[in-house]
Amino acid sequence: MKKSLSIALPSTLAIAALFIFLPFGSSAEFSFRSYSPEGKLMHSFAPYQWILQQPEFMSHLLLSFKLSLIAVAFTAILVVPSVAWLHLKAQSFRSIIEVVTILPLVIPVVALSIGVQAAFPDWLQSTEYELPLMYVILSLPFTFRILDNGLQAIPLKTISEASRGLGANWPKTIIFVIAPVMRSAVAGAFFLTFALSLGEFTLTSLLHWDTFPTWVTSVSQQNIIGAIALSVFSLTVAFVVLLLVGLFSSQTKKRTEVAE
Amino acid sequence: MKSGTLELIGISRRFGQTIALDNLNLTIGAGELVALLGPSGCGKTTALRIVAGLESSDAGVVKLKDRDVTNLSAHLRNMGMVFQSYSLFPNLSAVENVEFGLKMRKVEKGNRRKQALELLELVGLTTQSKRFPHQLSGGQQQRVALARALAIQPEVLLLDEPLSALDAQVRTNLREEIRRLQLSLGTTTLFVTHDQEEAMAISDRVGVMSNGHLEQIDTPDVLYNNPASTFVANFVGTMNHIPAEQQGDLVSIFGKSIRVKNPNGISGSVSVLVRPESIEVSRAAGSGNAKVITRSFLGASSQIICQTPEGAVIQALMPSNGSGDLHPGEDVALSVMLSEVLVAHV
Ligand SMILES: Nc1ncnc2c1ncn2[C@@H]1O[C@H](COP(=O)(O)OP(=O)(O)OP(=O)(O)O)[C@@H](O)[C@H]1O
Ligand SMILES: [Mg+2]
Repeated sequence: MKKSLSIALPSTLAIAALFIFLPFGSSAEFSFRSYSPEGKLMHSFAPYQWILQQPEFMSHLLLSFKLSLIAVAFTAILVVPSVAWLHLKAQSFRSIIEVVTILPLVIPVVALSIGVQAAFPDWLQSTEYELPLMYVILSLPFTFRILDNGLQAIPLKTISEASRGLGANWPKTIIFVIAPVMRSAVAGAFFLTFALSLGEFTLTSLLHWDTFPTWVTSVSQQNIIGAIALSVFSLTVAFVVLLLVGLFSSQTKKRTEVAE
Repeated sequence: MKSGTLELIGISRRFGQTIALDNLNLTIGAGELVALLGPSGCGKTTALRIVAGLESSDAGVVKLKDRDVTNLSAHLRNMGMVFQSYSLFPNLSAVENVEFGLKMRKVEKGNRRKQALELLELVGLTTQSKRFPHQLSGGQQQRVALARALAIQPEVLLLDEPLSALDAQVRTNLREEIRRLQLSLGTTTLFVTHDQEEAMAISDRVGVMSNGHLEQIDTPDVLYNNPASTFVANFVGTMNHIPAEQQGDLVSIFGKSIRVKNPNGISGSVSVLVRPESIEVSRAAGSGNAKVITRSFLGASSQIICQTPEGAVIQALMPSNGSGDLHPGEDVALSVMLSEVLVAHV
């Protein structure tokens, strides 16, 4: 049992690593390719220089960043308090909500985008700011579960009652008790919303908006190497963000871990 | 002392169809420790939460030192509470947990750290002060919770089965410790439990609850020796139910007529309620009314279990040195050493 596990674990990891790094490595190699005037294959930064020369690169990237940050803000304002409230006051609804939050995965994006858009007022439908709200809905299956799992381990109701009993009013209870214990789950939910929003393509293109991912797709039709270079670039950015979040949460953990 | 009298007057609370509290009246004197004892679901926690301001009541008044606090928010009540489940803030160390209430009261940092450490010393956790809740045992966590509740110098201390998650040894130690602290600080205390031994051991008075109201509230001695109802008699301590016939105010048991304390004017089959120590067992070869089944040596006293020819099993408790010759199978004569008994109608 133990022996088979000791083989199974490294081999699974190796396969997973291959699965991730083989395509990534190949793409990376491909993204540096360029051809000399004689048609000879060389490697250079040319495709990356090409990216920076694209006048639309920065504006699309910034737009996607902005929309993703807004989606994170909506998650902070709408989703986090709702899940906390569910744990504090409406435990009995939890299982219903859990099912409801799966819907964005089940309903086809076409139906979802049209249906959700119809619920928005006209002024919102005509701006790209409708996208962050949709991103929040699309990431709900994941954000809800991250937050819900995080809170499952903590008796939120009891500790917030303890806090009030000790003289903290509701705002103070939220600041000093609820927010700190939800911190790492909230960080995870934020990161997921951000990453999902930054890479969202289907819904955005269905609604005819032009963000970074849709722009990359259209660019790939005229310059395939440039498009791959763009993908490698955005993957690297995502990886760095992931690393930073990882560092951040492990530091939180370290603080909780200190013994006498 | 800062502590004052706590009064619950006519408190009622329903949850949908369930009546959790039904006109509950209870007064706890300054510095007194009162335990609320009762079966699961009888409304103990609800009563405690209403006192703490964590639950609203449908009717009734909560008074603290003659001040009506019924509608006062929980965070303004200055009551310390220890919960049944672990309730420490997981992101704060033991000493930071104890400091929390003082921080909310804007006590200056050095000062509150000093007070918190003093309280941790009081509950015997000086060396664990920097540990986080997940690094403490269950008993240690409840000690920290107790220190945290005491740190705010509460006018009332509310304990909701604080020991129920702990094992027997720790329970007994910690309950003595709670009592010692409570006595030395003189804090008015309401202690909720469903463990009658625990309630009897540390309380000034015990209130026995059933279905949302108090059946009886009195000192442990009175409750044990003079229960007001069969419910209380059954709930507190061990009780024999001996089948007998009642005629008017008298019941005939082991060939002797004894007065019935709660006659009701009914005649017929009843159960007579008798504590094990009120039953005398004597050897009576050939002429007894029961046989010994087992004798268990418990130290100073011994438990003797007997059976009547009708099949009733009866428990008696006798001094060990007078009962050494009561072997299994022995013919014995049982008698009730009481002039008045409670009966339950069957
Ligand atoms: N929030 C609530 N919603 C609905 N019913 C409730 C609620 N709180 C308590 N009850 C009901 O009220 C009654 C009294 O509950 P309470 O928790 O006060 O009992 P208890 O005496 O503390 O029991 P235990 O010894 O099991 O803790 C129970 O029937 C319970 O189901
Ligand atoms: Mg309870």
